[in-house]
Amino acid sequence: MLARSAQGLYWMSRYLERSEFIARLLELQTRALVDRPLAEIHFGWRRIYGSLGISPPAGDLEADHSDDYALADSYTLAGDLTFEPSNPNSMRSCFAAGRENARQMRHCISSGMWMNLNLAWLDIKNLDIQDIWAREPEAFYAGMVRTIKTFDGFAAATMYRDEGYQFLRLGAFIERIQLMTALVTTHCRVPEGAGDHEWTSLLRACQALDAFEGVHGMERKPERILALVIADPLLQGSLLGSLTSAGSCLDALGTEAGSPDTAAAARRLVGRMTARVVYDWTDSTDRLRLLDEIAREARDLHGLVTGAWFEYATGERQA
Amino acid sequence: MTGNAYDLDETFHDEMYGADGAPRDHYRLLDDALQALPGSELALIQDRVRRSFAEEGISFTVYGDEEAQERIIPVDCIPRILTGEEWQQIEAGLTQRIDALNRFLGDVYGEARIIADGVIPADLVRGCPQYRIEMRGMTVPHDTWVAVCGTDIVRTTDGFMVLEDNLRVPSGVSYMLANRAAVKSNLRRLYRRHQVRDIGNYGEVLRDTLASLAPEESDDPCIVLLTPGVFNSAFYEHMFLAREIGASLVEGRDLLFDGGQVFMRTTRGLRKVDVIYRRIDDDFIDPLVFRPDSLLGVPGLMNACKRGNVTLANAPGTGVADDKSVYAYVPDMIRYYLGEEPVLPNVRTFLCRRPEDLEYTLDNLENLVVKRVGESGGYGMLVGPHAKPDEREAYARGIRDNPADFISQPVLPLSRAPCLIGEHLEPRHVDLRPFVLRGRSTRIVPGAFSRVALVKGSLVVNSSQGGGGKDLWVLES
Repeated sequence: MLARSAQGLYWMSRYLERSEFIARLLELQTRALVDRPLAEIHFGWRRIYGSLGISPPAGDLEADHSDDYALADSYTLAGDLTFEPSNPNSMRSCFAAGRENARQMRHCISSGMWMNLNLAWLDIKNLDIQDIWAREPEAFYAGMVRTIKTFDGFAAATMYRDEGYQFLRLGAFIERIQLMTALVTTHCRVPEGAGDHEWTSLLRACQALDAFEGVHGMERKPERILALVIADPLLQGSLLGSLTSAGSCLDALGTEAGSPDTAAAARRLVGRMTARVVYDWTDSTDRLRLLDEIAREARDLHGLVTGAWFEYATGERQA
Repeated sequence: MTGNAYDLDETFHDEMYGADGAPRDHYRLLDDALQALPGSELALIQDRVRRSFAEEGISFTVYGDEEAQERIIPVDCIPRILTGEEWQQIEAGLTQRIDALNRFLGDVYGEARIIADGVIPADLVRGCPQYRIEMRGMTVPHDTWVAVCGTDIVRTTDGFMVLEDNLRVPSGVSYMLANRAAVKSNLRRLYRRHQVRDIGNYGEVLRDTLASLAPEESDDPCIVLLTPGVFNSAFYEHMFLAREIGASLVEGRDLLFDGGQVFMRTTRGLRKVDVIYRRIDDDFIDPLVFRPDSLLGVPGLMNACKRGNVTLANAPGTGVADDKSVYAYVPDMIRYYLGEEPVLPNVRTFLCRRPEDLEYTLDNLENLVVKRVGESGGYGMLVGPHAKPDEREAYARGIRDNPADFISQPVLPLSRAPCLIGEHLEPRHVDLRPFVLRGRSTRIVPGAFSRVALVKGSLVVNSSQGGGGKDLWVLES
């Protein structure tokens, strides 16, 4: 497969994964605006910005405002995170970048995948925050999550299981590993600390609430929540689940790469990251540090994938 | 459909109606259907067809318009219909023409007999900016210089004639296929009753054509489509065709030259390329041979091409045969190489490089269409009757300064076909661009990108100038 096409598929799914992640958090946040206390609302905004590694447009958030201020702030922040074109981390910017990659790689994806993305793009490309704010913004975000999930479903149902499919999945899993580690780290580091509702909202953000209730019932202890979203191999979206899936993509790709040594290094790295979660998480005395290290390794993994298959030095190997 | 008076004008051949206002035989079914449908219903069909283009993202880019990177090409839902007999004439004329043009290219880059025999002036050929001296002495597989040709054909009251040949990187075939898909699914019963000839195998024929041009016999040659990139006006088409023919869509940066061969950078290392269907102009193909500032091409590509290790389709230098001045000599080429009379005539053309033609052109500017020989896509053109006096005067100064850069032609009374404007049928001028594929043999799928000037009275059908497309139905009989 043409290296640039593979790279396009990889980035397409990374951007869409990020777009879905933002939509999911914003859905939770806009629901919280209806009836949650101000402190929790501020917690939510900090967690979103912290997960994305960026700051709010007007600097640090103040938690001592009145309700009116909080709602006005929320309107601005939601606009920034949803539609702001100058914010590369806004939901629409990420969706646009994913869709643009898809447009350039339409010959590598199925028509169902393209149509799903393009129809959604036609719907949202001219929207502004005021268009969704007055009427059930959470429904809008839920719709975006559904669109991207449908895209994944089309991909699973229609794509030929060749390298292209593996790169598409690999992009999504690497993005998810980075976002998951950032989300959990931020969640645990927000100064005022998380309450019961915030822990429940973390489960929702990780799409793990139903699974949690199925396994543990209604008693939502933080320790159990973290164990599920980080280290439970049966939860597809857990950090461990994402690492395992990324590993299986790399297994499928093998070492037949532009740079075979780098491909092998990528596989070894995922193995090490997986082992950290499996063997170190439970007994670790400094879990935040462990997550930081995994986050750094996830960035390294991206570099190795790029160097192995997309941007290797020419002359290394002829197919 | 009632309530509108379709404006018949005997100056123009109307594709659907005869001079007496009655539908032509092969349009009867369509006319019956249109009469039975209320205008509002037709408008809904039009809307569905246009929306399907937006939903599919069938777009083109207008240069110089930053907002229009993904402009959706306008489409009219009323098909244009040709009889089997009419198509036979077009097919025969195009087959004859591409044969002569390929022989001409082999000749002017070889022995140049046509020049030695005085059929065409040497300076017209060798002074043409599209003449590539680098191609002299080169041979190409099956003597195919032009593998893909898009010929613009118009109809006047005198019949069909060729307006121009596009022998470099002709575009529009994806719109031909998209128009068909959209119109077919919205006029289902009508389409079935018409027994329209199928065009769905274009991708397969194109792939066969390109594969037949591979340097070495191979069951599965590596074919790539070379695009200038996503900002090119025809990027949608490049992507579409790459998918249709199962080729990788590459940019110059994806290819590299090594040891006399061209390689593509794949995820698994470098893979040798056999055939490059290039959708990039000659100037940008290879910075070592043509424009040194080109970032779009591949340094060394021409070297591999000259060694016969990779085939470029179309070959560089084919533009000399579709130059607007050289065009005037195509009928002579047909007579010279094939010993036949042209099946499809040319439009009468005045070459301003000839003093008598220059004088005629300047004296009759208000009645002529004047074109710059190096331009295409409707750019740099003066339509005399529609131009203001000061525009004509400014253009005349340009002609006097560089006469050889201009040709002129009479304003053609292009035929008109019914289009849905609002909820009514109105006539608009049309042409058609069939696509001729030439590998070991010549093949033409029975269809065309039928272009239409959607602005009332306009004769300019180019999509970059406000034109749109129609589906063209070629009937079995």
